[in-house]
Amino acid sequence: MTMLRVRDMTVRFGGIVALDGISLDLNRGEILGLIGPNGAGKTTLFNCISGVIHPDRGSIFFEGHSLVYAPPHVRARFGIARTFQNLQLWGSMTVEENLVVPMDALGRRNTFSDALYLPFSTYAERASRERARAILHVLELDRHARTLAADLPAGIQRRVEIARALAMRPRLLLLDEPAAGLDAQETARLAELLHAVRQRFHVSMLLVDHDMSLVLRVCDYVYVLDFGKLLARGQPSAIRSDPKVIAAYLGEESKQSTGETTTVVAAPKQAAPLLEVKQVAAGYGGLEVIRDVSLQVRPGEVVACIGANGAGKTTTLRAISGMIHPRRGRVMFAGIEVTGRTAERISKLGLIHIPEGRGLFPRLTVEDTLRLVSNTAGHEVDITPAFQLFPKLRERRRQLVGTLSGGEQQMVAMARAILSRPRLVMIDEMSQGLAPSVVRQLFEIIRVFRDEGIAVLLVEQFVESALDVADRAYVFEHGSIVLSGAAVDLRSDRKLVAGSYLGTAVETPAMAAADGNGHRVDPALMEIVSVRVPAKVKRALEQRAEAEGRPTGAVAIELLEKVDRQ
Amino acid sequence: MTSRLMVRVLVTLVAFAVLARIPVGFDVGFKFDSGLAVIWAFGLLSLVLLTGYVGQISLCQATFAGVGAYAAGMMTATFHVDYIVAVAVGVAAAFALGIIVGLPALRLHGITLAIVTLGIALVFDRYVFQDHAFEWFTGGTGGWSVREASMFGLQMDSSKHLMAAYVVLLALFCLVGLLMVNLHDSGAGRRFRAIRDSELAAATMGVDLTRYKLLAFGMSAAIAGLGGAFYPLVAGNVSPQPFWLFTSLQFAAIAVLMGVRYVPAAALGGAFMAFVPDVLTRFGHGSLFGHQYEISYDWFQIAVGVLLIVQLIALPDGVWGDLRHRVRHARSAVGALGGRRVKVA
Repeated sequence: MTMLRVRDMTVRFGGIVALDGISLDLNRGEILGLIGPNGAGKTTLFNCISGVIHPDRGSIFFEGHSLVYAPPHVRARFGIARTFQNLQLWGSMTVEENLVVPMDALGRRNTFSDALYLPFSTYAERASRERARAILHVLELDRHARTLAADLPAGIQRRVEIARALAMRPRLLLLDEPAAGLDAQETARLAELLHAVRQRFHVSMLLVDHDMSLVLRVCDYVYVLDFGKLLARGQPSAIRSDPKVIAAYLGEESKQSTGETTTVVAAPKQAAPLLEVKQVAAGYGGLEVIRDVSLQVRPGEVVACIGANGAGKTTTLRAISGMIHPRRGRVMFAGIEVTGRTAERISKLGLIHIPEGRGLFPRLTVEDTLRLVSNTAGHEVDITPAFQLFPKLRERRRQLVGTLSGGEQQMVAMARAILSRPRLVMIDEMSQGLAPSVVRQLFEIIRVFRDEGIAVLLVEQFVESALDVADRAYVFEHGSIVLSGAAVDLRSDRKLVAGSYLGTAVETPAMAAADGNGHRVDPALMEIVSVRVPAKVKRALEQRAEAEGRPTGAVAIELLEKVDRQ
Repeated sequence: MTSRLMVRVLVTLVAFAVLARIPVGFDVGFKFDSGLAVIWAFGLLSLVLLTGYVGQISLCQATFAGVGAYAAGMMTATFHVDYIVAVAVGVAAAFALGIIVGLPALRLHGITLAIVTLGIALVFDRYVFQDHAFEWFTGGTGGWSVREASMFGLQMDSSKHLMAAYVVLLALFCLVGLLMVNLHDSGAGRRFRAIRDSELAAATMGVDLTRYKLLAFGMSAAIAGLGGAFYPLVAGNVSPQPFWLFTSLQFAAIAVLMGVRYVPAAALGGAFMAFVPDVLTRFGHGSLFGHQYEISYDWFQIAVGVLLIVQLIALPDGVWGDLRHRVRHARSAVGALGGRRVKVA
């Protein structure tokens, strides 16, 4: 029996088509998954269903009612509840009060009898609080009931969001990235929780998440969106092996086959590292996003950071460039310790960070943007080299940056970076939201950077292209580096990399032990076994190795043999 | 009745008893200031509801008070009704205007909403309160003068009306303040606070934003209008000057200074607004170390500005808010030392 029927949903933001004729059916009692790369339109679809935005075209029916013109609170009364990707708890209230608000709001209580503490109000209040405690008990949140929501760590806040949605006695629950920021173990517990919730509260669910292991474990049926269009739909097992889906996540398999990698100039392996990150941990508020991240970039080397969303790549870049302060660990740049220095001081050493969204000033012209480099450099900088590198920008030099296309904006950001003669450029999500042909051009520019002797640290969604251009790569998963090595080797092992995106987690307890960056691991081991192991196992291995005074690799091999024998 | 409510009622009664006695024995100027203090306190209380609870910005609270004042003045001077009826009409007029001002707030947020309300304050200040077209409402250039009025049938003559007005005002303030504190913890208050913390979440969790935002603006304007409606009785006349744009800005500044989320802070702020300028003009001149000095009313404005900057750095939750946190902190620390558990609700 169809509960939610979405037909031909189209949403435009300015010139961008966020949703393009999406149709979707959700049956009663079903958990439906909605996946797709960044910017695919998943959250936009959620906003349409919960009434936060109104579609330009299309219809929504919920249990036979048309919802197109219903405001959000009316949809809530129909039984549609949701959680938010960027947490939206009422921070100044206790967890219990957070649950009581939707119950009261749906009960149409009277403002004046409330303020007068009339018996009717106090009785209803007591009943609401009792129900709230029952829900908190099911979600194992009892001990946080009287804590202010803002004081909780993000992981718990996500669970409170689910509890608050359940407080509405919903018939349909929309979950927007409930597993963001959770580690593998917490995600597994969330999956169990969602199954329990379905059984106890008899709700249907629509689930958006980047963590494929959760989606594949929990959902009965999966829709895949890409660029606002429906890319595929089917059973989770079919989706997992669908080549179209893998391509959407990893980018097109590149024309360059693994064989012809001779264009890659081997970087001088012996050179002292330009950037050295040692066991850095960082995060925001109560949430620790990266733990124990170590990596190196040598002069003139192109290094790629890859991994699913929320794996900690962007946070790592921010911790390096001084936009956030690392909580533990050290960052060395060009032999100087820069841990905890401010971003502008680090940038003056020649480390340029092009953030996600490019960090441009939309109301400046292209020329003025490039001229600003003189300000940072402290002397007049000739901007003509930028126009030689990007002839397109010469035509657009008088145009406001905000009116340029996404690709041209990225060119401006890269041109600005190269004009300040940096030693290392870090580019976050360079190709996000750009068409493949533009992306190809930008990767050519990265090669130019390397030819000029500028090192590049790249965070990229298009894994294939990134591995084509990079010398080495680090694979992030759940806030740690789980795999590292020469780009050539990683590229040949496409399946392995796909695992970190599509959640095909290792079946054996430990395939090998590795420290991500290679140190403290037997170098011989790096050669013979693939290196993918959860962070917790890694830490346990290291501790054991230290206690026994042996190399980590030897401990890992011993364990592996034990597993084999069993 | 819960025990918490009992405590609140008792505290309010004690506060009323003490405050009602304070102006007795002082000269007429101070009695006038006391009345004015409660009127301004109502204006600040209206911001506690609107900004402190619901998170909406308004820079036209003095306009609401002014509408209340003019409506009450018109009713007494033209129709010679009982003053309580005049007050009721003033409150109703302010409530209606509040609903109208609330309409743009359904779409606007933050700085844009502030600018729109500023525009409304300017229109009323420069046009409505001072234009011939509205003489029926404002009583012309001289305004309304209220020489005598009867309240509950009792004649209030000029010698007694200041104290009487003050006591009635204070009683009303205590009542409304108590209701506001209750509202904060009640279901309706939680819905208001939900809008403040996350409008998006409030709407999708079933809170009707249109209804609650309009209600908040209407109730807030009514509270400001209630204070304003007593202005003719306290001052004896109504003129545009007390309700001009600058008073609205002062309300916003002093509400933040004292702690915009707390009801007692409104009383504190009202007293500050009424007494400090008067004290400055009375005692602000003399000689110090042979130098003549003269402190005028202008110094009050400067003082507010400086205090606001100091407060935002040192006491981010306002004077009352931060004092409250500190007292609670100290109390729980003392409780821990004595091995006794102190409930910090």
